[in-house]
This record gives sequence, structure tokens and C-alpha cells, in this order.
Amino acid sequence: MSTEIRVGIIGAGRMGLTHHSIINALPGVSVTAVVDPSRIMTALIAKYCGVRTYGDHQAMLAREQLDAVLLCTPPAANAEILEQLAAHGLHTFVEKPFLLNAPSAITIARRFADAGLVNQVGYVNRFNAVFTEAKRLLDAGVIGDVIRFRSEMFSPTITRETDESGWRGTHANGGGAVYEMAAHSIDLIDYLFGQPDVVTGTWMSSVFSRQVEDIVSSTLLYRDGRAGQLYVNWSDTSYRKPTNKIEVFGREGRLLADQHGMKIYRSTESDAFELKVGWNTIYITDVFESVPFYVRGMEFTAQLDHFIACIRERRPNRCSFTDGAATLGVIDRLFADFAATRGVLN
Amino acid sequence: MAPIDRVVFGDNQFFGINHMSQDKAQAMTERFLHIDSIFDVYQMAFDSGVRAVMLNSNDRAAAICDRFRAEASCLPAISWYPSIPYPHKYASLVAEKGLVGALNDVVFHDSALGGLGRILQGGIAFVSRDGMQLMRTLVDAEMAMFKSLDVRVIFVQNIVTDLLLGLGVKDFFADYCEHVRRKYQAKPGFITQNLPALREALIAWGIRDVVICAPVNKIGYLMSPDLDTCERATRDNDPADYEIMAMSTLASGALPAIEAYDYVNAQNIQSVVFGASSRANIEQTVRLISERR
Repeated sequence: MSTEIRVGIIGAGRMGLTHHSIINALPGVSVTAVVDPSRIMTALIAKYCGVRTYGDHQAMLAREQLDAVLLCTPPAANAEILEQLAAHGLHTFVEKPFLLNAPSAITIARRFADAGLVNQVGYVNRFNAVFTEAKRLLDAGVIGDVIRFRSEMFSPTITRETDESGWRGTHANGGGAVYEMAAHSIDLIDYLFGQPDVVTGTWMSSVFSRQVEDIVSSTLLYRDGRAGQLYVNWSDTSYRKPTNKIEVFGREGRLLADQHGMKIYRSTESDAFELKVGWNTIYITDVFESVPFYVRGMEFTAQLDHFIACIRERRPNRCSFTDGAATLGVIDRLFADFAATRGVLN
Repeated sequence: MAPIDRVVFGDNQFFGINHMSQDKAQAMTERFLHIDSIFDVYQMAFDSGVRAVMLNSNDRAAAICDRFRAEASCLPAISWYPSIPYPHKYASLVAEKGLVGALNDVVFHDSALGGLGRILQGGIAFVSRDGMQLMRTLVDAEMAMFKSLDVRVIFVQNIVTDLLLGLGVKDFFADYCEHVRRKYQAKPGFITQNLPALREALIAWGIRDVVICAPVNKIGYLMSPDLDTCERATRDNDPADYEIMAMSTLASGALPAIEAYDYVNAQNIQSVVFGASSRANIEQTVRLISERR
């Protein structure tokens, strides 16, 4: 496809605006319409960005000729919107967590696959150069067979009691540390190690939130004997920015990684990987790839660049709706396991 | 207006900003908890001949500016290069209340803005008709702390520059430049990680005599769309139109200083902003930047 790709954006919140800016700057792509319920946002966007705006997605779908849509709304309303996007034959990128449970996600994933439409969920870590390099190295056996892992995420997101009347206040609307943050750590687990067979020992704690959790931890088990730990805390003010961390122990060493760099400990020297005995460090500056336009982190551009490349070249997608459904499958089990454990304690 | 300073002393080291390591960032935050330790480092920079300072309008900057004013008689004459806004302040507000909630808050409740809602007749409805009036008021609020300092260039932080560049908000760039020139008799500046795209847009929009601050390092780190395009844009640039200030010259520590400045000095750039916190590093960097012009 050499013609310009016309993109519509549903939801002009923080992520919607960021994606709008990035994708509009990619060569051969332009945002032509934006949907948001806020009259102030649509008035500002119409006036200063020169795009047509709508108060709801039906109006946009009825009037616009689009090739693709970025869906950046809270997940509670997404099932119905996604059905309509598929019916209109639109390639779709949706912000995580995509939907609120695995069964609806599997149905939607099948709809898009059957229609031959590109579909992608915004799990941005799959486009971070350190994590993609970690996957390449782990798959190639850089620390031998993986036995244990830990996937953690920390951020200073909820650091005091706040007004919970917005969509972030309840699970029904996709609020809480599990849907909003742990989803990233779970997706990294799925990306690096595959889906766990058993989810157990899940516990969720409230720090400041009243209706949702601020901390979640769990144990993930695999039939082949591997085991992993999940720990996510979004009320940790000792972190300046959201940070994902992984730690992997294998028969031949250990690998630690976050978005900025990676350390690999090898118990023996490896010529194949050019690694010495002991600690080896790989920085983001060793593995990054330039992106066509930068707004807030290379991975945010890389994921949309990939979305466009999949539309143009019919490439398989690195983070499809099926991957998003897998993460929701683990989330469903986290909630069920936590409810069961709490039942035992009560 | 006078050309910009060749060497500008930046501020990331003071505020726990390290793109490579959270641990290093934490250690720096602890070291610079007290303003005296910040001024010890400024003194080292002045001893090395630095006479220009870039400072972001963050929550500690007002106290730093106060001290510069109070001790003006003991300090050399300094040229100021503020960068605005303090993005974190707005990012937290947006994370908590959403964009519209944050906008409401800023317009009606931000004490620093002194009840902006009352100033803007019609409040939030007015904002949607004239976002540029809100922009000018926010600029003035951020700039209040730099009052009576010798401000040469007022930079817009890259998150704002690049977001609005991608969105294609020409009015912002034009109105911002006009406001800075008229109200502050300073040059407008934009920090960006998309130097070629910004320069092209400014040319297309007929906006000139602007300072562009962008990463310049030989590995092309944080230089979009890529190293070659950035090098070409810099080479083709006429400093009479756009003076270029290089930042991220060490690529977050990936490059040794001598190698880094060999490269930077060979580029068609007019200025370098750098941060460092030891006397040896400051002296070495100033010497390396000044070696060739």
C-alpha cells in the first residue's frame, strides 16, 4: 500500500494525544478524525490540529473514510466499539488492557483474524530495545535453561488518597493496579516465557485506593517445572518513573533487565554470546534502533511504526489481540485466585 | 540580539535525572538534597569559566533562582537559559484527573496562576476558543521565578515541543515565539528529539531566529529520525536562522568525553549544554568544548 494511511483516534486522553502526535508524524500516515466526549478537547483539537472531531465513534464511522483506528478509551466500553471497527473493516490498535476479561477478548481476536485485519494491543515493552534483546538472548540460551524468573513493576502513580469517581476508581471500568500496571508485567512474562499453567498464592493490597488494589503479587507455575513471581506496586514513591524489571535465573547464569539496560551473569565464559565469566552489562545505547519521530520513549514510536508496517506489508503482529487475550487470561486467574485465598482467610 | 553562549551548564544532574540508571539518579538526588551542594557545583562551573546556565522551572528551581539573586554581588554575570514547563507537575495532575480534569484544575485552582479562571473571562469555555491565551498565561506563571535574571533564551521542554510538533499545532510555535520576544525580550527556543522535523516545520511556517536544542552524539542516541538525517540538517543549517545547541553529547554516558566532543566540535553547532557534578569532569568538558570553534 503506497497511498496515505488515514487514521482515526477514539479517546483523546493522555495516551490518545500521545499516539496522535506520534502516528501523525510517521511518513505516509495522517490522523484525519478524532473522537472524544469532552467538548473542550474536541474544540481544541479541531481548532489547532486541523482534524475533524466527533463526540462519539458512531458519527465518525458513519462519515469518515478511514484505514485504521487507534482505540484509546477506558476498556469497559471497548467490546462494543471493537465489534463495530471490525464490521467497518478497520485495522485497529487498542490501548492495554484491551478488554476486561479473556472470553470477550478471544471472541474479538477471532473476529479481527477472520476479517484479515491488523490488530495490536499497546503492550509497549515488546518494543523496548532492551526487552527485545533479552528475549532474543534468552531464546538463544544465554543463561541456559530457565528455572526461575521474577517480573516486577514499580511506579509512583497512586501516592495518596484521591478522588475515585473517574474510570480509574473501579474494576468494572478497568481501574486498579492489575488492569493498569500489572498487565504490563504479565505481558512481559507471556512474551518471554509463555503462559503459565497455574496461578497461585495471589495477594492484593490496598495502600491508598479504597475500591481497587495498589499492590499485587502472585506465583506462576509451569508444567515443565519453571516457576515465576509477579510483584507490582504503583504506590512506590522511591521510583521516579514507571519501571519494569525482570530477573531470570538459568542453569548457566542470571539475567537482570529493565527498560534502560541489562546485566548478565555467566558462570562460565561464552564465546557464542561474547560474554565473560561474571557480570556483563548491556545498555540501551548498545541496542537501540532510531525511530522516525520521538515523543516519549522510543518504544512508543516503535510500536506504532510496527502497526503501520503490518498494515502496509501484511506482516504478522508482535502484540496481537490474541496476545492481549492471553494476558487477560492470567488477569482473570489472578482475580479468581485472590478471591479464593481471601475466602480461606475469612 | 547577541549570539548564544558556546557553553551552557545544565541541571539534570541536580534533580535525579539519569536516563541510564535509576540507582545513579537516586544517588544524585540524595547528594543534592541541600541547595548548598548545588551551589558548590555551580561554583566549580564558574571557576571553569562557564557563564551560562540552563534551568528547568521545576519545584526546586525557584529557591535556586532566589539564591542567585541574593548572591548576585559575589557571582559572575550569568546568562540564563530557562526551560519550561516542569512536565512532571502536569503529568501527575493528568494521571490523577485526566486531561480535562487537569485543565480544569490548572485554570481554576492552581494557586501559582492566581485564579487564572477569573482572569480568563468565561474560564474553561474561553480556553477552548483561545488555547493560546492559556499558553501565554502558563508561560508567564512558569517564568515568574526567573524575574530580574538576565534571560537570553526561553526553551520549551522536549515533551511539549515534540508532542505539539507531531500534532501539527503551528499556532503554538508562532504565538510562543512572539510572546517570548515581546514580553521577555528573549529568544524563543525549543528542545526537541526531532531536530530535522522541527527545523523543516519552522521553515515551512516562516518562523525564524529560534534556538533549537537537540541531542548531538556520534551514536545517534535520541536523534530521530536517524543520525544521517540529523547530521545533514545540522550541516545545511544557517545559524542566522536557527542556532543549534547540542545536548546529550555523551549519549547518557555511552561515549567517553574526548571521543564525544571530537564529534560534537566537528558539527555545525553553535552551543553545547552539558551537566556534570565533579570539578574534574566540568573542567575537562569546558576545555574540550572550547578547544575548537
